[in-house]
Amino acid sequence: MSSPSKPRSSNFAPWRLTIVYLVGLLILALLLGQLLSLQILGGKDWAARAVDNYTKQISLPAARGIVYDRNGYVLARNIASYNLVITPAALPDDEADIERIYRDVSAITGVPVGGPVTTDSLNNAKEFGPCVPGPAIADLVALGDSLAPYTPVEIKCDISEQVARLVGERATDWPGVSVEIQPIRDYPTGSLTADVLGFLGPIPALLVDKYTARNFVPSRDKIGYAGAEESLQDVLAGQNGTRVVQVDVAGQELSNLQPPVAAVPGYNVTLTIDTRLQAAAQAALLSEINYWNTWFARIRISSGVVIAMNPKTGEILAMVSYPTYENNRMERFIPAYYYNQLSQDPRHPLLNNTIQSEYPPGSTFKLSAATGALNEGVVTPDKVIYAPGTLSLCEQFTPNEPCGPSNSRPFVDWITDVRPEGFGQIDFMHCIAFSSDVCFYKVGGGYQNEIPGTGLGIYRLDEYARALGYGQASGVELPGEANGLIPSPQWKRITQGENWSTGDTYIATVGQGYVLATPLQVLMSGATIADNGKLVQPTIVKQITNGDGKVQTVWFNPNDFTLWVPHQTTDSTGTVHQSWLDLTDNITANQLPAGSYQVSPFVPNQKWDITTDPKINTYDGCGGSCGSPTGVYKTVSPLTVKEVQEGMRLVVTDPQGTLHSIFMGDNPLPIAVAGKTGSAEYCDDVALAENRCQFGQWPVHGWTIAYAPYDDPEIIIGAFMYNGGEGAVVAAPVVEKVMRAYFELKSIDLTQTGGG
Amino acid sequence: MSRDLSWRNFDFLLLGAIVLAASFGVAMIRSAVAGNDQLTPLVSRQIYFAIGGIVAIFIVAAIDYRYWLALYRPIYIVMMILLFALFLSATAVFGSARWFQVGVLFIQPTEFAKIVVILILARYFDSTQNQPRNIPWLVRAFLWVFFLAIWILLQPNLSNVIVILVIFFAMLWINGLDLRQLLIIVVSVLVLAFIAFPFLQPYQQDRVRNFIIPQSNVSYGATYNVEQALIAIGSGGLFGKGYGHGTQTQLRFLKVRHTDFIFSAAAEEFGLIGAVLVILVEIFIVWRCIRAAQKARDVSGAMIAYGVAILLFFQGMANIAVNLKLIPVSGLPLPFISYGGSGLASLMLGVGLVESVVMRHKPLEF
Repeated sequence: MSSPSKPRSSNFAPWRLTIVYLVGLLILALLLGQLLSLQILGGKDWAARAVDNYTKQISLPAARGIVYDRNGYVLARNIASYNLVITPAALPDDEADIERIYRDVSAITGVPVGGPVTTDSLNNAKEFGPCVPGPAIADLVALGDSLAPYTPVEIKCDISEQVARLVGERATDWPGVSVEIQPIRDYPTGSLTADVLGFLGPIPALLVDKYTARNFVPSRDKIGYAGAEESLQDVLAGQNGTRVVQVDVAGQELSNLQPPVAAVPGYNVTLTIDTRLQAAAQAALLSEINYWNTWFARIRISSGVVIAMNPKTGEILAMVSYPTYENNRMERFIPAYYYNQLSQDPRHPLLNNTIQSEYPPGSTFKLSAATGALNEGVVTPDKVIYAPGTLSLCEQFTPNEPCGPSNSRPFVDWITDVRPEGFGQIDFMHCIAFSSDVCFYKVGGGYQNEIPGTGLGIYRLDEYARALGYGQASGVELPGEANGLIPSPQWKRITQGENWSTGDTYIATVGQGYVLATPLQVLMSGATIADNGKLVQPTIVKQITNGDGKVQTVWFNPNDFTLWVPHQTTDSTGTVHQSWLDLTDNITANQLPAGSYQVSPFVPNQKWDITTDPKINTYDGCGGSCGSPTGVYKTVSPLTVKEVQEGMRLVVTDPQGTLHSIFMGDNPLPIAVAGKTGSAEYCDDVALAENRCQFGQWPVHGWTIAYAPYDDPEIIIGAFMYNGGEGAVVAAPVVEKVMRAYFELKSIDLTQTGGG
Repeated sequence: MSRDLSWRNFDFLLLGAIVLAASFGVAMIRSAVAGNDQLTPLVSRQIYFAIGGIVAIFIVAAIDYRYWLALYRPIYIVMMILLFALFLSATAVFGSARWFQVGVLFIQPTEFAKIVVILILARYFDSTQNQPRNIPWLVRAFLWVFFLAIWILLQPNLSNVIVILVIFFAMLWINGLDLRQLLIIVVSVLVLAFIAFPFLQPYQQDRVRNFIIPQSNVSYGATYNVEQALIAIGSGGLFGKGYGHGTQTQLRFLKVRHTDFIFSAAAEEFGLIGAVLVILVEIFIVWRCIRAAQKARDVSGAMIAYGVAILLFFQGMANIAVNLKLIPVSGLPLPFISYGGSGLASLMLGVGLVESVVMRHKPLEF
């Protein structure tokens, strides 16, 4: 046994110590292994995460482009809105000083000081979004301090400029309190141009990825929701800049890690709209609507439209859709109550009725029928046709169906109410001038020996209507455009489950029944005739300039609403390649997509000329009026266009013409005008509810289009009155007033520019 | 003073290593608290503690360790009273009560309790060296530890209880713990752990849970600190980012970087090379203590030196393992390097005891 002086006994067995050392070595090996795997094997990943920790990308907002009218009048701009903010980290250390600042800020903003800050008060403050009144200053600052002390906290948004100045003056007394400038969109013309311009709104969740990829900040940046703000979003928006900065854990910016990329402001857009004419058009429309609604002592005309366009260039000078909305009310955010009010209004104030709504075009559609009938030789201008007040016609669903009393239907001329005997014996030119329905029934569908065979027929009517711009969206730079509808026998079989009847042809010839068109399409058909058969692209864009005022070349593809700019790339050999950059999707292409047209600098874009471009398909049966399309296209003879023009002129010049009294009556317009009226019976959900969809009870839309001067047209104006009644009575006065306003403005402009 | 006191036997290499570690610690603390006005005074405080600690090493080394062993009853009772008083009256900081405030100093009796446990056990194993290794021997040893550890457990401060239990267990093992007894202990500890888990503080339960099943909200959840430590260590690479240039440390993404996570700060700024050097210095210190144990002239001396070696090794490796996310967050400082006056002073006292042992080692036998 061991003695006390020799304590090292079996208690200190070496194997026990060895095990202790081994355990120690094992732990050491584990640590070193983990160290190696972290620092050597995973070093790059961890280094990337360290960089990620201190790197903050700050997006520098790009100023949205300004929108002007054709005379340089501002239609959309950015104005400053001021928010009072407190940066928690910049507040003084002393609690008493902070309390004093809170009290001062509370005095000028009305936001309560609050405090003491408790868990409950913080949780309550968390419920509120930024800028929503409710939480007290102390809670807002405490909340911001715990999240990101160097990020300013919004205490009160949209303070007056006076208060903003006061805060600036007291900057030294109130450390940490400052004013944040937030740009908001302002529309000086407000509801007058709301349908053309639209408004801005937040980036919807569905598009967040797309816009984030293009450096937009979803919580901050807005995009166009309607009108030009939507369709020209990609040129107006510009490109956000970026700063990449180093931040510490509290979010304080320490230095730039990369050279900052400045924001590129959006392009400025000049529209073709003339705000003065727009105002005149709106006033004319409203006064006419109010006049009739007062006359009838009820809201009869619930909506209406006026468009003024240069028929040779396609520039839209005025585009009014009533009712409309106040886009300035959407400047900071879209108020839910207002939006709900608008979207639930049965008159659809959010729709731009000039292009987004389809109506039966009524007698204005007779321009298509007349062009077809004359060009196909169905009639000659001096062909005399008997037009009684009522005509009994045979309704055949198959060509060989025998005609008898069972399928005989009366077709009424609009004049019957006034003159039951009708127009009597009139030549075809006067059929146009008087807008005789019976005459056009005969021409459109054929009548015994007077108009042999099936007349023009539905197939050929369709061809001529499409050639004048019906049946497809015009491609104007505004979103949501409707196509209209030009019915065909095939269409009827597919959608209505019924054969096309001869009665359908008669009705279609006078622009009723299944025929639907947007007011802009009706205007385009008139413009095509006015401009000798040339259909120009309607446009609202005059030019697009960059911040320096340099006009940019921009092309627009109406099929997918993409905007294209020329793009140069240099390859490795130094060769310069010319291509096109799609501003919408940020892709390049060697060729512009088919259908694109140049919107800036302005050039008139002729879609086609019916006298030179073969647009009329021919048919192989019934002497050309039925059967199958042959694929052989023909043009419209210039003489035909001339004859239709004369018919439209006769509408004004003939004492019985529907537009005679308005333009050549007591207060004649000293400029030669040509035009066409229309009264379209319709049946929609509103009429159905009033039980008016029956014979002799149909409600009527009023139409008028007119252009001037007759020999060299420079303006064409169209007006539409929903449930207005006789077009010559309700719509023509609007057209006349806008036309007078146009020539007055023209003379003012000529005087101001020295008679140039 | 003992007759055979000889400063020739003083282990200057051990002292040198400690001075090196403490100096490096001060440098790292300086780097870690840069830019934080509230923490800047910690650098000079750590320097004062280090200097005071080195003086203490010499004083304690000059005194024969057997004097302390002779006074084991008063030392034990005073320590127990201190821990009990702390349990009763201390303020709650970071979820537990750990400080006595004396003037400007925050004294942590727990740190000194670990040294007291080593002393008490050294005396116990010395006095019972010829007794059989039976259950009463084991239970008596456990009771000595228990009446100190229970107050620490109730603070609650589980980490330091574990440190004490590891010291206790390791010393039992070296002193010839029976293998069957070992098995009983292991099983009962495991059972106890399962039973005790519901009684842990919520934050401790979260730590354990987060370690076993990492939560999805990594960046801002309870694992934030460890995650930031991993980023700091990993991004350091082989050579590190340079002193004062660690982004995780300097931009304060790394939390408690001057205490619990100082190893991460060092690994970030000095890389793998720096980290391995830190480990090597710690191991060198442990090795010098083991060497002292082997030279000790009696069981109590050897047990003091072994105890301090185990304390240093376990606490150091546990701290590094926390930094490397190998074990749950424990709050144990890195010996001689982490900021903390009591921790540094108590470890310096421990080293002083080791020096005292090695200066009075057994005469060479020829």
